[in-house]
Amino acid sequence: MRRILSRTGYMILILILSSIAVFYAIRLSGGDATAAALPASTTAAQREAFRERLGLTAPIYVQYFQYAGRILTGDLGNSLTNNADIGDMLIRHGKNSLILGAAAFVLVFAIGIPLGIWASVRRNRAADQGIMTFSVTGMAIPNFWLALLAIWLFASTLHLLPSAGCCELRHLVLPAGVLAFEGIALTVRMTRSAMLENLGQDWVRTARAAGLSEFRVIGKHALRNALIPIISLAGLRIGQIVGYALVVETIFGWPGLGQVLVNAVLRRDYPVAQFFSLVLVALVVIGNWLADLGYVVANPRLRRA
Amino acid sequence: MSEAVVVDPVLSLRNLTTTIHSDGLTFDVVRGLSLDIYPNEIVCLVGESGCGKTVAALSVMRLLPEAAQITGGSIRFKGRELVSAAERDIRAIRAEEISMIFQDPLTSLDPSFTVGSILKELIKVHRGSDDASATALALATLAEVEIPDAKSRMDAYPHQLSGGMRQRVMIAMALVLDPDLLIADEPTTALDVTVQAQILDRLVDEQRQRQMAMLLITHDLAVVASVAHRVAVMYSGEIVEQAPVDQLFADPQHPYTQGLIHALPHVSARKEPLYSIPGRVPPPQFTPPGCYFAPRCPFSIEVCWKDHPPLEFDGDRLLRCYNPQSFASL
Repeated sequence: MRRILSRTGYMILILILSSIAVFYAIRLSGGDATAAALPASTTAAQREAFRERLGLTAPIYVQYFQYAGRILTGDLGNSLTNNADIGDMLIRHGKNSLILGAAAFVLVFAIGIPLGIWASVRRNRAADQGIMTFSVTGMAIPNFWLALLAIWLFASTLHLLPSAGCCELRHLVLPAGVLAFEGIALTVRMTRSAMLENLGQDWVRTARAAGLSEFRVIGKHALRNALIPIISLAGLRIGQIVGYALVVETIFGWPGLGQVLVNAVLRRDYPVAQFFSLVLVALVVIGNWLADLGYVVANPRLRRA
Repeated sequence: MSEAVVVDPVLSLRNLTTTIHSDGLTFDVVRGLSLDIYPNEIVCLVGESGCGKTVAALSVMRLLPEAAQITGGSIRFKGRELVSAAERDIRAIRAEEISMIFQDPLTSLDPSFTVGSILKELIKVHRGSDDASATALALATLAEVEIPDAKSRMDAYPHQLSGGMRQRVMIAMALVLDPDLLIADEPTTALDVTVQAQILDRLVDEQRQRQMAMLLITHDLAVVASVAHRVAVMYSGEIVEQAPVDQLFADPQHPYTQGLIHALPHVSARKEPLYSIPGRVPPPQFTPPGCYFAPRCPFSIEVCWKDHPPLEFDGDRLLRCYNPQSFASL
């Protein structure tokens, strides 16, 4: 319980510090906010007045507190390019990202854990070596390249799936698969090593001496213990998926938060870029926090000790 | 007309040979082990570390690690051959008919499950019991092995229990299905001295009440003297002497047995340095051609270095020695 409280405290602290970092990074990244919002013919004086109105002339820490105050009262602001309400954008694009992210998240574990168990049971045989080769490859291939490869194979060559678009299941398959790929590769490896470590423990011999079947020894006892680090890894996978979503959503034209953020940054749309950066940072931090909680829930030695 | 009652042994090992393959080397760790254990009897298997006691026990349970294999001989349990038995049949025998307790209770219980769920799973798998009767049996067994407040301990995870309590849980797991044979491999070695005696008493009590056979593996001769009915002394993978406990301690014949007994500390001999058998057990891949003990034996004669001595009957005793002499003559 104390562990959970202290982890939650850390989470909030990291959230605040990272929001400051994001805020400064965007202010200091150069570029001109007025370029996106105002026509090219605008005079320097008009631009200065516009900056004044947006509060961009105040010192950055003052701007930060003003911004934090508005966010906390629910005023998320509007886009500089099309004046769209950022709250509406969050709901509309957030839903798409949630679908894509959740699909990738499920794939990571639904494929990664069984493959990892299989590899550990067939250790050093052909199946294990095949799975491990796949795993190393999966971690080595950059996802933007994998995305292009997937589009070339499944869309251009085989004509099985659309190369881009939204929002049916057939549109979801390629981006979700690419987004999950590295997570699967990591989860396979993690599961395999955790299983092997646990299968070598004395209590596995006790379980066998009790006359339990290999299915129970491996699928219940060894797996239950192997899941502790895997669950801990799960929160980190959220962070990874959020990060990769920027690239994958852009390549596959999936209208999610990542795509919105990339476009906003390219157009110097400060309020949008700033807010969605913060959303992604918050997701990563919350993912890590969930990992900490998951670790406590999964491991009885931490729960009651 | 009186007829001797012939009781069949529960477990009968004949020329059991277990081989380990490691780093391209192949060597026998158990070599031609023969041993009978009868119902309602405690047989102690003694010997130094590395002499093959644990591997012999794991062979009986067919729980050998991947690198080890039974390569010869037979293991007959209640008339059934275990060496060639199917995995499925062995599983049905484990815990139900032959149970085993291991040395280290701290690492021998699955850390992610409660004591109650571990015991109940064992009962349900073997007996197909419903939850209520499995719970009742688990509780009764925990109480029987003198775990205080057994009801609340059912919900405890292994890390919440002391070493002694965990070993009691292991004993409960071993006894819950009322097996015919209990193999206890150094069950008290990892425990505090004060707890050792309690655990040992518990085991002996259970053996008496249930009239089961028990193979107690130990290197502690004080334990042997207090609980064993029969003792088998193992050296370098084979039995060198076997006798009823009184005979073995009163008149040990094999120089190795004598060395072990001689090495026990004596209250009266306070000023003499403690005796220890010179040298160490030869690693299994480098055993001498004759008697394995010859290089450490104070009485070895020429034949000991050339021929391997057979295990021969001498009344109630079995002895593997060409030149049994008393340490008193030294």
